[in-house]
Amino acid sequence: MIKRGNHPNYALTYSVLTLAALTVIVPVLWMVSTSLKTMVEMFTIPPVWIPKVITWEAFSRIWVDYPFGGYFWNSLVVVASATLISLAFSALAGYGVSRFQFRGKGVFLTFLLITQMFPSIMLLIPYYKVMRTLGLINTYTGLTLAYVSFTIPFCSWMMLGYFQGIPKELDAAASIDGCGKFRTFAQILLPLTLPGLAATAIYSFLVGWNEYMFAMILTTSENMKTVPVGIGQLIGQYRIAWNDIMAVSLVASVPLTILFLFLQKYLVSSLTAGAVKQ
Amino acid sequence: MNSSKTKTQWSGYWFTLPAALMLGALVVYPLLYGFYISLFDTNLLFRWNFVGLRYYLEVFTNAEFLGKILLTLKFTFFTVAGHFIVGMILALLLNQKFPGRVFFRAVLIVPWLFPEVVVGLLWKWMLNPMYGLFNQFLQDLGLIAGPVSWLGNQETAFISVVIAAIWKGFPLVMILLLAGLQAIPDELYEAGQIDGASRQQIFRFITLPSLRSVLMVTLILDTVWWFKHFTIIWILTQGGPVNATSVVSIDIFKTAFEYFRFGQAAALAVVVFFVCFLIGYVYRRKLGEDDD
Repeated sequence: MIKRGNHPNYALTYSVLTLAALTVIVPVLWMVSTSLKTMVEMFTIPPVWIPKVITWEAFSRIWVDYPFGGYFWNSLVVVASATLISLAFSALAGYGVSRFQFRGKGVFLTFLLITQMFPSIMLLIPYYKVMRTLGLINTYTGLTLAYVSFTIPFCSWMMLGYFQGIPKELDAAASIDGCGKFRTFAQILLPLTLPGLAATAIYSFLVGWNEYMFAMILTTSENMKTVPVGIGQLIGQYRIAWNDIMAVSLVASVPLTILFLFLQKYLVSSLTAGAVKQ
Repeated sequence: MNSSKTKTQWSGYWFTLPAALMLGALVVYPLLYGFYISLFDTNLLFRWNFVGLRYYLEVFTNAEFLGKILLTLKFTFFTVAGHFIVGMILALLLNQKFPGRVFFRAVLIVPWLFPEVVVGLLWKWMLNPMYGLFNQFLQDLGLIAGPVSWLGNQETAFISVVIAAIWKGFPLVMILLLAGLQAIPDELYEAGQIDGASRQQIFRFITLPSLRSVLMVTLILDTVWWFKHFTIIWILTQGGPVNATSVVSIDIFKTAFEYFRFGQAAALAVVVFFVCFLIGYVYRRKLGEDDD
């Protein structure tokens, strides 16, 4: 059998993969190296890989000289709320669409797909206006609602894919045992979709944690900014402190990496399930 | 005796309605409102002059905007092509069994986990004309004589932006294709071997056709996502120098939030939506011919 073949061409495989891995690792190491440098050493020609003086000051400066503690808190609150809301709504919708026939189902599914097609900036302008009118600029609620609007559609697709993989006989059995529709969903089906929920949660977290444009426009006050906006504004400054920027960039990438390490199996299979079944 | 059918109808609604209502309020309403805004010359405050479809007509007579659409298509084409070439090669390699596979898979996914702002800044730092790693590396290899200002130069800025976008986006394509490859049943390959097919033939007649649905979905999503991409380009160049990297999302953003021509920006956004929709439609037509 050739698939995952018994005789891969090791030399070729390893050289291509090593090259690819280097293009990923070298920039990341460069980030680490920069974040450990002093201001002086950061600006040397040619650049040094291993700084003579290794300092962790950049990592402490980001909490002391810049309000990154606050930015992280804002990001966490907004993204966690958006993720919880998306999970609840998309689990319900995924179950509903996978189990029942009803008028408008096709329209709903098509609509979910179409939301992936429009430029988010199309929503940004009306959001800016509406949120200003409602006083939601600079609030957690405002940003959370914005994030929910782009996560619910894709999350619903992911959950739908997941529910479709669970045999309908389970529902039938539960209903014979006298379970109501909602209890069947909450007590029988939902626990079985935990991997799907986990995947959907990371997806939603990833989207929110990375989002930059909406956060930049919908938050104007210093104490409401999110991590990406906080990082982004560091390059506006006269003398760019690349060591600080790289330090905070590394810290900002940690939550996603941890989440992914634990849950990657679920995420990958769910993303593909959606793609394959679509 | 229509009770059971009506019941499932209603159950379907009960479960789906929360999401539908939420999306109605958070997506449909703002979209319609955005379209409404596009009919006005407005700063969203006190100036609301009705202009009807004027901005839409302008789009099609305005060479500058059409040029930006073309630039965006060019950016999307190179980025997506990069993702698919790199992603496909790596997925095929990772689909083999060999020691170290897990390690490579884990490393190669990393760019996808980095926030877009971080990717933008990292590349901006690497491309720094004075202290950047990139220039140093190319000079060490003897490929360039002196430092190049990659982002400060109209020709190189575009290439730089595409490279950063490929770096960020190839892992997702790689994972999706890899998962697609792993879903192909072994029997198909065995049958192919028994029939004496060569490696190329197996790829051409077994692998590619089995991957088709994954390829199509990935291609549509990746194209549309990068067509409307904003953050990395914004961080790297803000659309400059001059307009060398001014893709439509940057252009719309500036029109709205720098020049405060919200109506015009809203109209441009609607046009971009139709372009994205068209891309999706054309792909489906081309790739999904005998699907449905």
